[in-house]
Amino acid sequence: MLAYTVKRLLQGAATVWFIATATFVAMHSVPGDPLANQRATSEEIRRNLEERYGLDRPVIEQYGIFLGSMLRGDFGISFTQENRRVNDIIRENFPVSATLGILAVTFAALGGILWGALTALYRNRLPDLVITFLVILGISVPSFVVAALGQLALVNLNAAVGEPLLPVAGWGTLRHMIVPSLVLGLGTMAYLTRLMRSSMLEIADADFIRTARAKGLPPTRIFLKHQLRNAILPVVTVLGPAIAAITTGGFVVELVFAIPGLGRYFVTAVQQLDYTVIMGTTVFYGAFLVVMVIAVDLLYGWIDPRVRLE
Amino acid sequence: MTASPTPAAGRPLLDVADLHVEFDTHGGVVKAVRGVSFSVQAGRTLAIVGESGCGKSVSVLSVMGLVPTPPGRITRGAARLGDVDILRRKIVDGHDVRGSRIAMIFQDPMSALNPTMRVGDQIAETLQVHRGLSRADAFRRAVEVLAQTHIPDAEARAKQYPFTFSGGMLQRAMIAMAIACEPEVLIADEPTTALDVTIQAQILDLLQELQRRTGMAIVLITHDLGVVARMADDVSVMYAGEIVESGSADDVFYRSAHPYTLGLRAAMPSQATTKAAGLQPIEGTPPDLFDPPPGCAYVARCPHAMHLCRPHRPEPFQVDPAHHARCWLHHPGAPAGRDGVYRGARA
Ligand SMILES: Nc1ncnc2c1ncn2[C@@H]1O[C@H](COP(=O)(O)OP(=O)(O)O)[C@@H](O)[C@H]1O
Ligand code: SF4
Ligand SMILES: [Mg+2]
Repeated sequence: MLAYTVKRLLQGAATVWFIATATFVAMHSVPGDPLANQRATSEEIRRNLEERYGLDRPVIEQYGIFLGSMLRGDFGISFTQENRRVNDIIRENFPVSATLGILAVTFAALGGILWGALTALYRNRLPDLVITFLVILGISVPSFVVAALGQLALVNLNAAVGEPLLPVAGWGTLRHMIVPSLVLGLGTMAYLTRLMRSSMLEIADADFIRTARAKGLPPTRIFLKHQLRNAILPVVTVLGPAIAAITTGGFVVELVFAIPGLGRYFVTAVQQLDYTVIMGTTVFYGAFLVVMVIAVDLLYGWIDPRVRLE
Repeated sequence: MTASPTPAAGRPLLDVADLHVEFDTHGGVVKAVRGVSFSVQAGRTLAIVGESGCGKSVSVLSVMGLVPTPPGRITRGAARLGDVDILRRKIVDGHDVRGSRIAMIFQDPMSALNPTMRVGDQIAETLQVHRGLSRADAFRRAVEVLAQTHIPDAEARAKQYPFTFSGGMLQRAMIAMAIACEPEVLIADEPTTALDVTIQAQILDLLQELQRRTGMAIVLITHDLGVVARMADDVSVMYAGEIVESGSADDVFYRSAHPYTLGLRAAMPSQATTKAAGLQPIEGTPPDLFDPPPGCAYVARCPHAMHLCRPHRPEPFQVDPAHHARCWLHHPGAPAGRDGVYRGARA
């Protein structure tokens, strides 16, 4: 188990390095000049800035400096917001994105497992048909549409009630968090529901379920101890990609709901070609996802003994 | 091989009578079991033998309440354990019957255990549910039962997961699970078919040893006449959803009274016949169970078929006191002198 964990961590480090390098290459091959903004008015100022950011050095040297500061965990200073360190931007804004993401993942996973189990229990009966229809909707509608519709629904709901039941935008209280995280988790929940349903049906026909019934166990015990735990395994496997999907989906939801998260920062940084912020947040997100995928792997090993010992 | 062995004293422990089971499928209704009766007494082993698909599993799954409904349906019959009909009941006298008084082991031990649960916990579970033991007590008892199945180092093994076990070990664990509550009847559906030959013999020995110790009745399902010869006190031969011959093992083996039983014997590899010379598979295929023939189900393959066999269904004729065959050759008016078909002590 320890060797496995170490191996996964090394693989993860290599992945992060790859992401960093790819980002670096991409940033240095996009057309455009971060200093072309109004700030670099004179040649002198431009030279000063170039020197400060090391833009006058050869690319390979810049790459070395970049990797060095990444290793030290220093993402540099924003190009567009003087005196703001990228580390500070991440530290201030990531917790908001993380809260949103965690709520959305929890909602998606619990919802997916619950609805999936329910549809399997009511196979081909009304609850199954209704939920399966909604699932197809949830999978096929893109997240920015869901976000806009969610907001619209919220506006109408508040208007109907006559007072602001739930805030339409912004961040801060739990009431702010509910709708954005539901919207963010919805697509993933739909996907997990479908996965859970087919997994439950497959397990229901498994030999060991017949064994459990031959042992005369009560149905609830068979369901919880034998069917559910085994049916959840495929859901856990895709939790890594699901977290990735929710993380990227968060960019849109943060924009639509005016949530001061890192994702919104990232989108703005891209629009303004803010080199350091783009590279810093990309590498940070990459590292975050790698850690999450490893965590999911370890969780899987904990649930499935066959993986644990291999 | 002299007279038929003494019929065991006492009433049958498990008595199945006139069982009918159907399945709804896309192609129509499969009449999988069509009037099956068998019984087994304490301490004895009944083998149910027949080709694949003839309804052996469905018959015993019905008794265990494990036929999936839908698509399955038990349309007629009774299954008595002692005095009560357990066919459509899970609980008798406040006790769970299934898993407690009557238990079952299956063909493929590799898939019959829950992969994410420790083996010991899977055994202990029945003791918790049926005997009300605490988790810890049940686990301790599970280790003892596992040791009874001769799994080395049972204590450590009980804490492991099924994937660390070999096929033979898994079948031992499965047996431990089934006998944990000391059932009166153990049903074993092809328990050794998925195993190596040497392991097969060990598992059969284990079943016999446990039977001697506990006095439980065993219903053993197999398509392997070698297994029948080794294990059975009594034999029921199944064909196309019916029992076509039943009697003591010696009756059925050495005084076969049904042409199908003779066919099975001819198809069976034995020490006397080499593969090249002696084996004679039965020609043809079993009838379509969507639309079973009105008369004798074996008529299309039977070398002795007569005119009345096709339209008229034979009843089980008594050949000797505890030996029956569902074949018109045993009708008093049937012509004599059919090759190899035993016609009873009187004939
Ligand atoms: N769940 C089911 N659905 C439809 N048909 C079934 C089902 N289970 C068994 N059958 C049918 O019942 C017949 C007997 O099957 P089975 O008892 O498993 O045979 P055996 O154990 O003797 O090999 C077969 O023709 C099979 O197709
Ligand atoms: S009843 Fe007729 S067809 Fe059937 S086994 Fe006997 S002789 Fe053959
Ligand atoms: Mg079978």
